[in-house]
Amino acid sequence: MDGAHDLGGQQGFGPIEVDSVSEPFNEEWEGREWGIAQCALTPDITIDWWRYCRELILPEDYLTRPYLDSWAQTDFATYIEAGWISLEEVDHRGSLIGVDEPLDLPCITSVEDILKDERNHAVRYHKVVESQPLFSEGQNIVTNKEGVSGHTRLPRYARGIKGAINAYHGAHVFPDLSAQGKTTHQHLYSVVFACADLWPETHNSKDKVFLDLWESYLTEA
Amino acid sequence: MTNYDAQEVARIHQELRERLPRDPASRVEALEKILTEKGLVDPQSIDAWVEAYQDHIGPKRGASVVARAWSDVGFKQRLMADAPAAIDELGYLGRATGHLKVVENTTTVHNLVVCTLCSCYPFSILGMAPAWYKVAAYRSRAVRDPRGVLEEFGVEISNDIEVRVWDSTAELRYLVLPQRPDGTEHFDEDALASLVTRNSMIGTDRDLKVTALGED
Repeated sequence: MDGAHDLGGQQGFGPIEVDSVSEPFNEEWEGREWGIAQCALTPDITIDWWRYCRELILPEDYLTRPYLDSWAQTDFATYIEAGWISLEEVDHRGSLIGVDEPLDLPCITSVEDILKDERNHAVRYHKVVESQPLFSEGQNIVTNKEGVSGHTRLPRYARGIKGAINAYHGAHVFPDLSAQGKTTHQHLYSVVFACADLWPETHNSKDKVFLDLWESYLTEA
Repeated sequence: MTNYDAQEVARIHQELRERLPRDPASRVEALEKILTEKGLVDPQSIDAWVEAYQDHIGPKRGASVVARAWSDVGFKQRLMADAPAAIDELGYLGRATGHLKVVENTTTVHNLVVCTLCSCYPFSILGMAPAWYKVAAYRSRAVRDPRGVLEEFGVEISNDIEVRVWDSTAELRYLVLPQRPDGTEHFDEDALASLVTRNSMIGTDRDLKVTALGED
């Protein structure tokens, strides 16, 4: 979607606060939100649906509110959309009714459990598929010129641009459909673009930008 | 059940604007209270997650990966070829590192990592992302004016060095392998790891300083 989240190349945000304190949680609520996000998710949610719901936050909030606050907002939205909590309960700041079938929560209550279990959370999104990748290393491609109205991972700044395949990553879960709850796999590539092809003011630059892009975002140049 | 109804979510966001307090602490407090009362989250689990990322999982892990790569050629080869398997040797495989990729700085190449679409970050080896990594100023400019961004971090990149920006648009996560500083030939891994800054593994730092700590 053409949203405020698609920030690459936008101008006017000013200098970066390079020394901003954030180690690792600035304030207590940030730690709480991090913890909630790790151990409470609706059972049928996909990471791409969650990202899409974050992109749907009103632009003025998306651009001005703290990062982990936008996570909390997204959690509220996904839980409410799925019917696990209601807007009335938001007003009430508490539960008005239990859930029909409480989740079978994993009984992680200690740091030791988390550290022991951590490698099981290294989610792999790739899969062996029957189809052969269309493109090979070094091949020239051009990215889609049109955007899509739902969730997608081809940023606006890299649309309709010529690039080259840098590497093939295998077939990965396709985010555009995963954000609709459908798990399909599609060939994924590392694609390299010359800064000079992306930005008018960098025509003398030899710098490069690499993006990981799915096959349907690309056509042969 | 999730209905994947984007219009409905846009409406909910608008409703929440009116119904939720404006300060983040109260919002998160309300979220935790409702989820806890519904049995959807266990506050003790949240405590444990906070402690894990406060005290155990952070950039020191990344630094020890870098130090190992500097001192062990075989490990470096494995790391460049299959980073998830290599960091698993050190017990660091985890959240957001299942598709980790390591990109190496050289005398002619400098790498910089960003996520322009959200704020993807390799949690299990670098911990929580720094505040600057998640704000619009960095996310917007890193791909368009990387040298200008680096200058703000005090890093000057000469024109004969190629800057490579990695925009984390898929589930791959990137870790920059900085160059080993000169004069550290006799350093052991712990001393080497102490030289590695968090920013150097994202690419907003380049020439690592040999500190007194490293020389101890």
